[in-house]
Amino acid sequence: MDTSRTPATAGTGQVPAQPGQEERVWRAGGLEPMPIRTLPDAPPSVHILGPTVFLVALGVGMGESYMWPRLVLLFGPEIRWLFLIGVTLQAVVMLEMARYAMATGESIFSGAARVFKPLMWFFFVAAILVYIWPGHLSAGAAAFEEITGIPWTVTAVAGLILVGVVFSLAKVIYNLLESVLSILIGVLVLGTAVVAAMVGTWGDVADTVTGMFAFGYFPSEAMSAAWFPVIVGACAFAGPSGMQQMWYTLHLRDSGAGMGAHIPSIRGLRHAGEEEAMPSRGFMFDTDDPAEMAKWRGWRRWVTFDALLLFWGITMLVTISFTVIAQAAVRQDPAVRTAIQGDEREVALTAMADSVSSAGSPVLGTIFLGFIALIGLNATLGLFDSFSRGQADMTHNFVPGAKRFKLSHLYAGFLWGVIAFGILILLFGPADGPSGILDTLAFLSTFAMGAYCVTLLLVNNRMLPKPIRPRWWSNLIIGFGAFFYLGMLFYSLFAFGVVVG
Amino acid sequence: MEHRHSFELALPGLAVGAVAGAAAGGLTLIAGQPAGTAALSALLLATPLGLLGGGYGLLMSRGTIRPGLFAPAGLYWLAGFPLARLVQETALGLVLAGEVVLAGGLPGFLAYQAMVSLGFALGFVWLHERLMPYWLLRVRGRNPRARELLGRYVAHAEVLRRTAERRRAPRKGAR
Repeated sequence: MDTSRTPATAGTGQVPAQPGQEERVWRAGGLEPMPIRTLPDAPPSVHILGPTVFLVALGVGMGESYMWPRLVLLFGPEIRWLFLIGVTLQAVVMLEMARYAMATGESIFSGAARVFKPLMWFFFVAAILVYIWPGHLSAGAAAFEEITGIPWTVTAVAGLILVGVVFSLAKVIYNLLESVLSILIGVLVLGTAVVAAMVGTWGDVADTVTGMFAFGYFPSEAMSAAWFPVIVGACAFAGPSGMQQMWYTLHLRDSGAGMGAHIPSIRGLRHAGEEEAMPSRGFMFDTDDPAEMAKWRGWRRWVTFDALLLFWGITMLVTISFTVIAQAAVRQDPAVRTAIQGDEREVALTAMADSVSSAGSPVLGTIFLGFIALIGLNATLGLFDSFSRGQADMTHNFVPGAKRFKLSHLYAGFLWGVIAFGILILLFGPADGPSGILDTLAFLSTFAMGAYCVTLLLVNNRMLPKPIRPRWWSNLIIGFGAFFYLGMLFYSLFAFGVVVG
Repeated sequence: MEHRHSFELALPGLAVGAVAGAAAGGLTLIAGQPAGTAALSALLLATPLGLLGGGYGLLMSRGTIRPGLFAPAGLYWLAGFPLARLVQETALGLVLAGEVVLAGGLPGFLAYQAMVSLGFALGFVWLHERLMPYWLLRVRGRNPRARELLGRYVAHAEVLRRTAERRRAPRKGAR
């Protein structure tokens, strides 16, 4: 592979500028070369708020609040070693996604297109198939129904319209979303801590934490057609699942991280006229310049802090708290265990809330449901925005003729499209998607995670200049990720004939 | 006047702490529990958490705690949160049952609360850092200590601002 010093006659390489000649560019793959620009200074590495807030909002979902507490109650806290691996893997994936996005200002979808265009189209189609169904709204809205009595379809439809209106009126969508999600996550973290403090004991936490290090523990009853697919699903849902990590690259770009500073932000529909022209490719910085490399290391420190404290820390914290709450619930009312074994998510959540209520701290059941509703709202805000952002990005850059539309208009088109479809399905159809294709959707969601690990390896090792490519150990972990997701998925499929639970 | 200035700087932390503690009480009422129990439980947690939250704001105004950092807040709540919970459990137990029963005994109880305190600290800093700058902008006209603290926030944001300025400059070159 060419180094950044290689003159780029073809393939990958950085072209030095000669006096009176064209500007210097970095050639990566078959697409338009990236002009060389200055890398902005990195912010201080220790910070509190940043684009990771999106990944946390998307990531702290049903996996943390329901799937893993459920597995702990069924198989014991030792099963959590799989969660530790899943979330740690996701933290490394996050760092590698950020590597490409911060070095180029491009999304990982553009990176995939630079390697092999059909790879990007696979993600385009998979996103539509997996994320167009409004099923993810149901748990949060159902919890809200438990508290207020308002039918969940009403809340879900109202929520959908509200999301559309808010994102259309916002001047710069990123700023608005960051503020709203920050406050929601702050309340969630604060509240979950207070609830866990009131219902849990030292023993619960000690069990939960030591269980994370019981590497290799796998009870025989988990190796069954009924439970193995559920465990595969829970591993895929440890932290951000499906394509959420890929969308994170778009949020990094919009927040102006690294070379994303050279790309304008997406605006709401009402302010689309003020949008600056969107460049058709990203930029690269001079990796031969020691000063630029020093700034790059600053950006890496910044994102590493995000990955470790904000992403890994908050995800662990919320899931430990929810597991403690679930353990307390079973201690008070053993019937909860039976309810949780069932497949009905809403029944299990309500049983957990009821038992928490009857455990001498009556308030906590309501708070518990309140948090489930909050998690649902977070996920909905994040998912709709991210889906529209990703599809608009791919359409704008790769669908012929789409460049005559502003990115903000494409974003609004996808947003309102998925909202309109969502409302129709909520009113007249199956929220999770037609039952005949449910298995296919679950398969696609986990398959996309294995596929993005492979994509990451290709993109970061072939499309970036040598000095900023990943280290061997990072490649090894991402390679393990591909093996982990795809291996478990196909094993489940061939050994048990079931996709994921 | 000096006391009023200090109190104003303590308000955002006091609000975050008190709301976190009182949320429990408000929701107990919705859950259909006796209003008295709910109010007492809420008051007993909201009061110490609110006072400690206010104390955090005061330490910040004195420069003991710098804006934008997690570690000092983590240490502060590592001591403060278990204390607040101990106050709540002890008082609630004495009033309702005439005795205090702590899950896991005193050491186990405190150790567990200290662990949870890290989560509380993260949520507290997160919300406090969102509220405080807006509050300071509001009161800086009449409160010299607020002006001083705002100055520290501005200094902290200096690097970020410089980055933002540098961002805008090269964009003209983008096609």
